[in-house]
Amino acid sequence: MSRNRRTAAGWLVVAGQECRDLWLSGRGPLLLFVFSALLSTMTYVTSINKVLNFLEQREAVNLVLQVAVAVGALLSMVVAADGISGERERGTLESLLLTPVSGRAIVAGKAAAAVSLWLAAYLVSVPYLLVLSRGVGIAGPAAMAGVVVGTVVAGALTAIALLISSLSNSNKVSLAASIFLLLVLFAPAQLPSGRPQGWFFGVLRQLDPISSGLAYLSAVLVTGHRWTQDVSYLVSPVAITVLAGGALGLAGPRLVRLAAGGNGR
Amino acid sequence: MKRLHAVALLAIGLLLGSPVPAMAQKTSIDVAVAPTELSVVLGDRFTIETRLTNTDNAATGPLLAHLNVASLDNSVYVDPEDWSSERSQDVELEPGEAVTLSWELQAVNPGQIAVYVVVLPYGADAAANQQLVVSRLARVDVARRSTLTAGGVLPVVLIVPAVLAFAAIAARLRLRWRR
Repeated sequence: MSRNRRTAAGWLVVAGQECRDLWLSGRGPLLLFVFSALLSTMTYVTSINKVLNFLEQREAVNLVLQVAVAVGALLSMVVAADGISGERERGTLESLLLTPVSGRAIVAGKAAAAVSLWLAAYLVSVPYLLVLSRGVGIAGPAAMAGVVVGTVVAGALTAIALLISSLSNSNKVSLAASIFLLLVLFAPAQLPSGRPQGWFFGVLRQLDPISSGLAYLSAVLVTGHRWTQDVSYLVSPVAITVLAGGALGLAGPRLVRLAAGGNGR
Repeated sequence: MKRLHAVALLAIGLLLGSPVPAMAQKTSIDVAVAPTELSVVLGDRFTIETRLTNTDNAATGPLLAHLNVASLDNSVYVDPEDWSSERSQDVELEPGEAVTLSWELQAVNPGQIAVYVVVLPYGADAAANQQLVVSRLARVDVARRSTLTAGGVLPVVLIVPAVLAFAAIAARLRLRWRR
């Protein structure tokens, strides 16, 4: 079997095994339950709270979709951050490295399993979107924008987290570094708005894949912009996915070792 | 008696001869607003356009067009900041020049609402006591809407977490039985 064919089949095997671990162990369904409880609370509060209920219905849909995309993508990141460093910490990476699967295939399979959590979270959010968008006819655009933006953002966060995980020996370090990086990117978005902050803060704001993805959703669903009008918002998550994913693809065999930066296989 | 008449005539003369205050000066800016009547539903976004025309033979200098929102109903308090985040626009017009300014608003209070634009001189050289130019009134009737109801969302809000809780418990039990 050629190396490429082995990699192609290998990542599917790894993805299948990772998905079984995630979903049949009950970890995935438990995370989804917590996720759905959050969406239920948001949806119910939106429908009964007078302050929120004055919002235009499109904004209510956008609010719940933004929470679904942000939290769903973060769930993928948490699972990905555990990907390599978690195996190292639990001492199970050695047996994985002994299988006839390349480092690239291991990374790709783990990424696919992590993104599956986002896809499941998205499916869970669909009933909420349908019930909230009743009567305003934006269920279709909301569902389409949600799956596109969410998949792009989840892909970016998964790639970053897997890269950090492959460079970490400890799961705690991997998770903390991933979240810290997100917070650093997220901080500029929390600066007081309405003041001219210059191009530098504009660039910083667009660098955050979550903030820029959510801004795109608002532009399409609430402001009514065309799909292509604010597509620049998606440059950041796509670029991060390509760069981090490319780094993983190129350096995968060297990164997936018994110890980060060590000399194991 | 003659002295009294003389004093009265002097007073009338002084009144008529006093300089006209700047407030009464004729302005050279025309502000048209469109549409002047609008019916929207609470939460809707809409745009009002104003066309500023310099009808004078001289340039206007820096001007500030400022959007204002007020309730025509005493019982409703309106905060213009909630209606539009960008309520000021700079403009400077050459003789005969016209410009159209767009104002994006969102109806956040129900009732009869007045929207209008005031044009005022802008910058450090703006003199006090000048006549301001006000557009015609755009009247916006905002109807209430409450399409989201607790009863409408309740089935989804309860059923989805219940199904997922069942799936999570089933997965745990299956794992335990296998061990």
